[in-house]
Amino acid sequence: MRVAVWIAAPVLIGALYALLGALGLVGLDAHGFTTEHVTHVLGAGSTWRGIGWSLATATVATAAATVVSAALAITFRGTRIGDRVARALAAVPLPMPHLVAATLGLLVLAQSGLVARVLYAVGIIHAAAGMPALVLDRFGIGYMATMAWKEVPFLSVVAMSVIATRGPRLEEVARTLGATPGAVLWRVTVPVLWRGLAPAAIAVAIIIAGSFEGAYLLAPSSPLALPLLTYERYRTIDAARRADAYVLVLLGLTLAALAVAILEWVRARWDVD
Amino acid sequence: MGRRLAIIALAFSAVAPLLLLGLWSVGDQWFFPALLPGRLTLESWRHVISSRLAIEATVSGVVALATAAIACALALPVGRAMARLGGWRRRVAAAVAFLPVAAPPIALGLGLQYAFASLDLTGTIGGVILAHVVPATGFLAIYFAGVFTALDPRIEDEARSLGATPLQVWRHITIPIVKRQIGDALALGFLVSWAQVPLTLVIGGGVVRTLPLAVYDYVRAGETRYAATGALLLTIPPMLALLAARRERVAPL
Repeated sequence: MRVAVWIAAPVLIGALYALLGALGLVGLDAHGFTTEHVTHVLGAGSTWRGIGWSLATATVATAAATVVSAALAITFRGTRIGDRVARALAAVPLPMPHLVAATLGLLVLAQSGLVARVLYAVGIIHAAAGMPALVLDRFGIGYMATMAWKEVPFLSVVAMSVIATRGPRLEEVARTLGATPGAVLWRVTVPVLWRGLAPAAIAVAIIIAGSFEGAYLLAPSSPLALPLLTYERYRTIDAARRADAYVLVLLGLTLAALAVAILEWVRARWDVD
Repeated sequence: MGRRLAIIALAFSAVAPLLLLGLWSVGDQWFFPALLPGRLTLESWRHVISSRLAIEATVSGVVALATAAIACALALPVGRAMARLGGWRRRVAAAVAFLPVAAPPIALGLGLQYAFASLDLTGTIGGVILAHVVPATGFLAIYFAGVFTALDPRIEDEARSLGATPLQVWRHITIPIVKRQIGDALALGFLVSWAQVPLTLVIGGGVVRTLPLAVYDYVRAGETRYAATGALLLTIPPMLALLAARRERVAPL
């Protein structure tokens, strides 16, 4: 176990420096011990709005991607050529970087983007301003749609592998015991799939919530997503406020550690490797 | 009918992004509401060959290759040791190894920045590589833990009982068995670094310029043609790696 601690050592070092920075003990603008940055950040509405926005959008995007992936895995689980083609196609966008997905999201969903141009061509809107704001919008619709699209390939590959390895035997048992096709789907296939897919879905939600480039290109300036708020505080010209970034770093790392604990708890509970 | 529509949607999702980026990379005089560009130009691609974008792509390649090699060398023994753990120890080790992957990269970068600065590593390619190694090693340790769990440890025990030293066991037994997985791990490590933005931004301090940073700046500046060209350059190597991996093994998926 000690070897794994070495892997995480840089995170612990980062957290230690962030703690010292948050308490005014290290950093370019450090002037000695103070809890001012901690109380300021924890008392600011923008901190909690940023955390809430990041968690909510990550949850919705992950839920959407999980449902689509599960549906794809169930629909295309067979051995026909169509099933195999669909499974191969689902995995194609898998290695696309988040930055590229976010760039595409911007080019497709912005008010002068491809969707707006198509809607203009078919006469649904009459100017770019007629297109609803899907990018940099308060609710993060374009951001969530882009992140969900980006994660469907990964979750689909996991879902398809779960169904292929764990589904058939239990389904056969259920059928032998007289279960209808509907009962097999909802009482066997979906629960088996969910158990196998849940850890991957939690991991995806963690990655989306911490994503910087996706949020930078697609998320609104109010509320600022937690990674953007952290970067903005780090870049502020107000030297007295720069150490606030360290408190936000600590919050980000703490949330990530909590999410990892939840992930391992889910794995242990359902005995998923 | 539903199946057919789903296959069409999947095909669209697989092919359209590359086609759109390709069109945007050569599109000129393409203003709203035009569906197609007014004129086509290879200007941004000539720019790739002749100027800064080529240097940035090269830096990205060097950083990603070094990250992959270092992370793989570190993660291989860690993953093997993790696979040999049992019960709760293994769960805790997996959680701890996942921390560098789960940590928001911007938080990780800012947390490490002071330590890197005190070692004169900020603003250097070496510093950026070391920063990228952090999440890549966590990712690959988990990957190798899975690989070694599937491997029967008795093969190594057998070699040891016949008098092989630990080094000989590594050289002649362990590494040859997981040779293909080491190749996959190098590709994964490369990809973790290849598209990294926040760690490069913070630890590189604007001095180390990589391809993702260039794309990021082009998008922010509204330079669509250059952004699309850079985005295609960022996408092609990972896509080729996926294709190569699929050709290599005829997997059921």
